[in-house]
Amino acid sequence: MPGGTLNAVDGISFDVDRGEIVGIVGESGSGKTMTALSLLRLIPEPGKITSGKILYGEQDVVQMSDEEIREFRGNEVAMIFQDPMTSLNPVLRVGFQVEEAMAAHNRFTRQQARDRVIPMLQRVRIPAAKDRVRDYPHQFSGGMRQRAMIAMGVSNEPSLLIADEPTTALDVTVQASIIELLRDISRELRAAVILITHNMALVASLCNRVIVMYAGRIVEEGPTRAIFKNPQHPYTWSLLRSMPRVDETTRERLISIKGLPPDLGKMPPGCKFHPRCKFRVDRCLTEEPPLAEVDPGQDARCWVLMKNVQNPEAIAQT
Amino acid sequence: MRGTLIYIGQRLVLIAITTVLVSSIVFVLLHQIPGNAFLNETRQSPQTLAAELHHYGLDLPLQQQYLNWVQGVLRGDLGESLVNRGVKITPLLIRETTVSATVGFFALLVTVGLGLILGVIAALRQNTWVDYAASSTAVVGYSIPSFVIAIFGLLIFGHYLYIWTQGTFFYQPGWGKIEQIPVPALALGLPYASYVARLTRASMLETIRTDYVRTAWAKGLKARVVVMRHALRNALIPVVTILGPLVTGIITGSVVIENIFGIPGLGKEFITSILARDYNIVIGVFTFYAALVGLANLAVDVIYPVLDPRIRY
Ligand SMILES: Nc1ncnc2c1ncn2[C@@H]1O[C@H](COP(=O)(O)OP(=O)(O)OP(=O)(O)O)[C@@H](O)[C@H]1O
Ligand code: SF4
Ligand SMILES: [Mg+2]
Repeated sequence: MPGGTLNAVDGISFDVDRGEIVGIVGESGSGKTMTALSLLRLIPEPGKITSGKILYGEQDVVQMSDEEIREFRGNEVAMIFQDPMTSLNPVLRVGFQVEEAMAAHNRFTRQQARDRVIPMLQRVRIPAAKDRVRDYPHQFSGGMRQRAMIAMGVSNEPSLLIADEPTTALDVTVQASIIELLRDISRELRAAVILITHNMALVASLCNRVIVMYAGRIVEEGPTRAIFKNPQHPYTWSLLRSMPRVDETTRERLISIKGLPPDLGKMPPGCKFHPRCKFRVDRCLTEEPPLAEVDPGQDARCWVLMKNVQNPEAIAQT
Repeated sequence: MRGTLIYIGQRLVLIAITTVLVSSIVFVLLHQIPGNAFLNETRQSPQTLAAELHHYGLDLPLQQQYLNWVQGVLRGDLGESLVNRGVKITPLLIRETTVSATVGFFALLVTVGLGLILGVIAALRQNTWVDYAASSTAVVGYSIPSFVIAIFGLLIFGHYLYIWTQGTFFYQPGWGKIEQIPVPALALGLPYASYVARLTRASMLETIRTDYVRTAWAKGLKARVVVMRHALRNALIPVVTILGPLVTGIITGSVVIENIFGIPGLGKEFITSILARDYNIVIGVFTFYAALVGLANLAVDVIYPVLDPRIRY
């Protein structure tokens, strides 16, 4: 990036309440991971948060000092990453990596942290946890590693848990059980969950609300039920159209819509979705629509909105 | 654990075989040299010469000499000096090896210590002046051979700073005082330190971008813990891989350094014995070097599994 700023994610704002599960969906490269990382100020170099606020309760994450953000990470907000094969340190024992997460904050003493490791591993249903605490990550299967990551994430009883495609890298046979674990444990802790996923069926069955992202922007958000019933943004509409049937919940079919998402360096003018949009009007080419309320609690970023389109199926076929 | 012990046992056997093999080759080659160690002694009657040859068993057929030699080696007896009659070689070389090992140990300390510090700092401050300074120091250090550093060391500490050092470093007879160690160790270790620094920098740059280091940040660990425990621990693994060749390099390099500084170690003996045509000692020195290189590499290999639990013997 020679000079200038590339906005990987732009003007994102959303709120999550305790006990709520919010889904973030969108194609690969739409900025889901970036959004999640920015919540913890973990954007990789040379990226940075150029403007805006990330409010957590009364605190602004962007304004926090280094020590404040360190206390915040893993304590108030914990994150579970996409690939459990690479997310655990290969040279440290799994039990120690869980212990370390607790010892880093002042919620528990060193001794308490140590004593809580086995119960934590049991809580995420790792079989024979007592014997496995001293194992290294390579002795764990992918599913078990993700369980260990979850144990690490919830060990400090955070009020927000961010799970970035927690099952994409896993065997289909264990995906369902990991999701189930996440749901149960967040209920027990009364924690809010942000679930990043490609899987619309999963969103339908798990999330209270959905955020749909495209080209680093939120293009639609609202209650799951409303979005699935009446998607207003053409992108959301197409996503749902290409969705696998509900009885295929464990399949994470890749969302497929004709064309490619825009390159960060060559963002189209106007609505970022217009090159792929079947419903565009002249205004879409020059002016970017704002995120505006279309129904109570449901917002969409579109000049046209699907409710104003007659017979969308016919147009989409063209 | 048991696997490790068996592994060490196997390696020790291999080292013993290599050592005997190396010394045998040297033995055979040296005995190919026409004449013998005493030919140049001018005022020597044929009788004394014959007596000398007989004393050392040099009048026996070569096969017999060789068998005697191998038997000696297996008993740990490398025979007697040809020049200083009555001086047993094994204890002499053991004494000299401890001297060399001391210098070598400190050189390794310089290499690894300095290399790691420079490398880590450069990686953490990537593309800042700190990085450039550390990296240029490394390139400079790497391009200057250790004997040049040694000569500059002599010039600076032995000449310009004579008033301060009083020549303690090199000129006083006797060796083993602590203040005699730093300059030779620095000269010996510095070029390799630069090498370690460059490798550490590259390795650190890789590990600080890994997912598990991101996990460590996300857990809210202190920066020091993330860097030392998570990034550096893993970055060390490739660095340890080159430690074997590095130790071998230090051992070879010590021959030159010991001679420049007059350190009475194995390297000095190597040259002295060759010049004196004390062939028995020459063979002995080779034998010791072979064993030393083998043992040093074994020590390095034993560190691996400590650093990387995925490796098990
Ligand atoms: N380290 C980086 N440096 C520069 N650009 C990056 C970097 N990481 C990601 N990006 C860009 O930022 C944009 C957002 O990426 P992000 O990883 O957030 O997408 P995502 O929605 O999580 O995709 P996926 O579904 O594949 O995980 C992408 O266009 C990506 O190319
Ligand atoms: S604003 Fe226009 S181009 Fe963009 S999604 Fe709506 S209709 Fe399509
Ligand atoms: Mg992602």
